[in-house]
Amino acid sequence: MSVLHHLLAAVLGDFLASLVLGVVFLMGFLTFNVLFLIWLERKVAGHIQRRLGPMEVGPHGALQTVADMLKLLSKELFTPVAADRYTYLLAPILVFMPTLCVASLIPVGDAAAFAEMPYGLIVITALSGLTVISIFMAGWSSNNKYAVLGGLRSVAQVVAYEIPVLLSALSVVLIAQTLDLQRFGDTRSWPHLFGLPLPYVVVEPVAAVIFLIGITAETNRAPFDIPEAESELVGGFHTEYSGMRFAMFFFAEYTNMMVLGALGATLFLGGWKGPLLPGWLWIMLKAYAVIVVMMWARWTFPRLRFDQLMSFAWKLLIPLALANLVVTALVLGAIA
Amino acid sequence: MNAVLRVVRGLQSLLVGLGITGRESLRRAVTLQYPRERPDATHWGGPIELVTFPATGTHDCIACNACARICPSDCFEIEGKRPEGARKMRATKFFLDFSTCSLCGLCIDVCPTDTLQYSRRYDDAAFHRVQTVNDLLAPFGEDPYLMGKLQ
Repeated sequence: MSVLHHLLAAVLGDFLASLVLGVVFLMGFLTFNVLFLIWLERKVAGHIQRRLGPMEVGPHGALQTVADMLKLLSKELFTPVAADRYTYLLAPILVFMPTLCVASLIPVGDAAAFAEMPYGLIVITALSGLTVISIFMAGWSSNNKYAVLGGLRSVAQVVAYEIPVLLSALSVVLIAQTLDLQRFGDTRSWPHLFGLPLPYVVVEPVAAVIFLIGITAETNRAPFDIPEAESELVGGFHTEYSGMRFAMFFFAEYTNMMVLGALGATLFLGGWKGPLLPGWLWIMLKAYAVIVVMMWARWTFPRLRFDQLMSFAWKLLIPLALANLVVTALVLGAIA
Repeated sequence: MNAVLRVVRGLQSLLVGLGITGRESLRRAVTLQYPRERPDATHWGGPIELVTFPATGTHDCIACNACARICPSDCFEIEGKRPEGARKMRATKFFLDFSTCSLCGLCIDVCPTDTLQYSRRYDDAAFHRVQTVNDLLAPFGEDPYLMGKLQ
């Protein structure tokens, strides 16, 4: 890696070389990760329904998603005549950008994130709010009633669920006294039990559950998948997209899951800290654990109705998250 | 207070649901990888076929037409011939139209020589309707009685 960096730096300069290498590495990893996650999702779905899932392509169907991707690559890219052409073309490209930026901020080791930020958490929250803009762009520009309804629902949903996610993250921030994701791995500020450092989920279980529900809603996954509710809206915002453009939305959704899962792991499960194994492996294992729980929930719960979804966020999650934040602050104040 | 109770109950029901799917996911999958794995069909009843008796190595159909008479769907088309000097007839044509057969088994019950039975086949397929007419004598070849090899 560093030899490559030196070679590139000679041509492009230090900053550009880091940028190119980082993007290439991240994209490569994320592509592999998405292919794995889709396979995992289908396996989880299969076994929950007592099926086997994909079995034919590769050992236990491991290459099924590769075959699917090749199929999608070869499909015709279809643009509706009445679509707002440039917005329509831009949306699947833009949908991926915020996720990629957020992915570069997740710390994977003691001094290793692709981009380090003293206020990483704020940047992540700001960036993950951008995804919904491209989803709405897709829905609006398709000029299709189902697509625009899906886009509108997605906006309403993300606006509602960003708040509890933020509030629950904030209660951990109060304890950790930092917004730097790197310092969430500092075991000295973790809660201790008999001298043993414990991850924040132990003292903030309510916040952890709210966070999990919130990121499930933010990634538009069942039971909160009303923006693409197949039974009502055909495909929601991606109704009119075909081939690789559709795949980009798919790609973004699964990458978003990975990134938010990793964020949850950093905040609540102790990030890359863990015995024996290297840091990057620990954070990936923890993120995958979060994702498996999300998949498990998807194949268990029915989809919520739109008003149920909204009242769940505004009437239950936000008050609960606020109360949790206040209690955390009071307890911290009492200790101090 | 009521609202709090409802929330708690709701959460509890979610956990119960997760428990059920979690448990089911650990059980063995019921899927068979079909062309490679096949179900145990020994207790299934497929299309009617003629019994091969080990003593004679052939069927024992005497073309009495009892099955054709009792068949509610009129599936059978049977012709027979009496071998030289024999008392019993032998079937020379035994067609069963499986497209109308409902596998009711009346023919099996009524057969005086017990030479009809359910087969163990379950994956018959055809492109044309005429192909669903099974020639039940086809597997037997030349009839040893009519050839004079058996009395």
